[in-house]
Amino acid sequence: MAVSYSSSLSSFAAAAFSETKASIAPASSQAVRFASISSARPFIAPLTSNSTVLRNRRASFVTPRAAAESHSSPTSFHGLCYVVGDNIDTDQIIPAEYLTLVPSNPAEYEKLGSYALIGLPASYEKRFIEPNETKTKYSIVIGGENFGCGSSREHAPVALGAAGVAAVVAQSYARIFFRNSVATGEVYPLESEVRVCEECRTGDVITIELGESRLINHTTGKEYKLQPIGDAGPVIEAGGIFAYARKTGMIPQSA
Amino acid sequence: FYCTQRQRRSGSRCTHSSFRPPPFIFLGNQTSLNLFAFTVSGKKLQSFRSAERPQAMASSTIASPSASFIPTKKELGRSAFSPASSPFSVPKCRKSISKKIVSVMAPQQSERKPAATGSVKTAMTMTEKILARASEKTHLSPGENVWVDVDILMTHDVCGPGSIGIFKKEFGQNAKVWDREKIVIIPDHYIFTNDERANRNVDILRDFCAEQNIKYFYDIQDRGNFKANPDYKGVCHIALAQEGHCRPGEVLLGTDSHTCTAGAFGQFATGIGNTDAGFVMGAGKLLLKVPPTLRFVMDGEMPDYILAKDLILQIIGEISVAGATYKSMEFVGSTVESLNMEERMTLCNMVVEAGGKNGVVPADSTTFKYLEDKTSLPYEPVYSDQQARFLSEYRFDISKLEPIVAKPHSPDNRALARECKDVKIDRVYIGSCTGGKTEDFMAAAKLFVASGYKKVKVPTFLVPATQKVWMDVYSLPVPGSGGKTCSQIFEEVGCDTPASPSCGACLGGPKDTYARMNEPKVCVSTTNRNFPGRMGHKEGEIYLASPYTAAASALTGYVTDPRDFLQ
Repeated sequence: MAVSYSSSLSSFAAAAFSETKASIAPASSQAVRFASISSARPFIAPLTSNSTVLRNRRASFVTPRAAAESHSSPTSFHGLCYVVGDNIDTDQIIPAEYLTLVPSNPAEYEKLGSYALIGLPASYEKRFIEPNETKTKYSIVIGGENFGCGSSREHAPVALGAAGVAAVVAQSYARIFFRNSVATGEVYPLESEVRVCEECRTGDVITIELGESRLINHTTGKEYKLQPIGDAGPVIEAGGIFAYARKTGMIPQSA
Repeated sequence: FYCTQRQRRSGSRCTHSSFRPPPFIFLGNQTSLNLFAFTVSGKKLQSFRSAERPQAMASSTIASPSASFIPTKKELGRSAFSPASSPFSVPKCRKSISKKIVSVMAPQQSERKPAATGSVKTAMTMTEKILARASEKTHLSPGENVWVDVDILMTHDVCGPGSIGIFKKEFGQNAKVWDREKIVIIPDHYIFTNDERANRNVDILRDFCAEQNIKYFYDIQDRGNFKANPDYKGVCHIALAQEGHCRPGEVLLGTDSHTCTAGAFGQFATGIGNTDAGFVMGAGKLLLKVPPTLRFVMDGEMPDYILAKDLILQIIGEISVAGATYKSMEFVGSTVESLNMEERMTLCNMVVEAGGKNGVVPADSTTFKYLEDKTSLPYEPVYSDQQARFLSEYRFDISKLEPIVAKPHSPDNRALARECKDVKIDRVYIGSCTGGKTEDFMAAAKLFVASGYKKVKVPTFLVPATQKVWMDVYSLPVPGSGGKTCSQIFEEVGCDTPASPSCGACLGGPKDTYARMNEPKVCVSTTNRNFPGRMGHKEGEIYLASPYTAAASALTGYVTDPRDFLQ
């Protein structure tokens, strides 16, 4: 059943927030059908034996709306952490020479993942991805201030997600990176309250209790409070903004 | 309180006076998702977390309606620069901050100039007004999430294919874009390369534009001779301006961080990712959070060895690479008014390097004159109200500014050019949206003329941003040279021949990109970022500088203050 996009957009807006009251003028294009999500985002298998990662949010990407309600939201991530410093810019996350890879192309999406954080300088002795691997063994990246600064390239959160990162825990984010992380649903951009990057070391075993906004470092035995992910959580869990809008009925699935 | 993080780490004291900020309201929480209109519920009265952090910004006071504050205009001293005692030391915070507290919710006086948006009940900044009009609201405050009509969506060869992929996946393989005249597609990043994927990406753009009958597609097919492509322009942000797509009061979104360049025209312009762009392609709208505005007042006559690049490097050095995160940067003052459009573009271009969401310069006669022969579409500029509330205000006395560089590896790693005179360099790069415009090449050429046509001591790469810039470089006479063109002067002093216009090596790119840094070198560059690996090699060292400083450095083989040649 083709439903006018404009009217569903209004309901999306109304449902999403209470502040705006304006009605949204119909889009000038004609009513469009939405393709169902046929090309599934690849399900990332659990990583090496050292870590297990719950990737419920990926699974939900392909389930029809009715079934989505029965699956549980990811409440925790568990795995090894990779620690970086402040101002990790997008050129370090995914150097520009790899931007010829198109993220919406599944094969190139995987390839992007294999280059995640390859731009980090040699001072980072432990590489994020081993030379012959395409996925990382670190499912949690811990950073400092202004993580993801620089370019607006969506390839940055995509590369991290494709490599197998479940969540980034940083002190603060650059805005476009944060926005892109949520829009794509690739990684949870979590914020810490203190400089966790100075208290954790690459290879520490970490658990993130998302519902409790807590990070536990099993290697040091310390715990840290995180900023609640808030309304961004369900969007990322659904697999990004389009998937979320469809899952919650804000945009109709095509018949 | 306003010291940059770097200064705090080095232990140097901030010399400007501190003050106790009045109680403030948290104006935006990243975890409340700036992206979509999820209300900042429950966070409104939370104290600003970054108050513990050195680059915290004091937010404007939002008093209860019954209270009112008297506007204060405190001038907290000059921003005169005092020479640092040791070389390479970081300049102390020397900008003056005046915290403008304005009356809130007061009824507007009739003598106030009415805003272009019609009757405005409460004062708004330029950015707030632009977003209000685009979202059909009479009033907006920072922190509100609104659906905004997009006037122009720009994409290029790096992010276009991905955005198109998302558009087709989400809206349908046969979906049509919301408006074939409002999407401008500009291949510019990886053009003159044999990289197959890069070439394929331009083909993807072409196919999409044909299928959608996109009106503005600046195509290139003959990579061997850029002049053989009548439609090809080059660097997207410069092309947007030169082709008349930037208009005061409008909303321009682009899949590139330097989309903020267009703010020079008094419009709201910012960078977005592929997913957002795919959404706009179908819907013609985007959900945006209204940013608070930082105001930068620059007064004083611009010394003739200073360019807009020095201004913005000074500002970024002051507030740090995250100093403007989620905020709008408004540039006003007599110095700004004296800048031509390309210089204003340089200023707004690096707003993103401070973390800024967008930058704006109020439109004036300079703007209108520039636009005269470029667009016939009507536009309506907007201006900040007298009583608009700004998060913070910074004042600069530009007459006292000295040429600035940003040392490796951060755009906020500010130093005086003259403090770096012992830094031996391997090459100079003049190009990009930041420093590859006609005015930028003119400036470099002027310095070479003033030096008496000394020969450059290091390879000096010149990459004009667009075809038009390239033509200007080859045709416009340089003042003071007796009628020579930039190209003649560049040839005479031994620069490389100006290359085909594109983004070039600003961001490295495929390995065969002209002037890419494939070995660890020290480079003075007129580009915008110098993070590790930016121009190719991870150990490369990039000093960001103005075209004057870049040209001067080329002549000596060291980082050089342009006054050595201009005075």
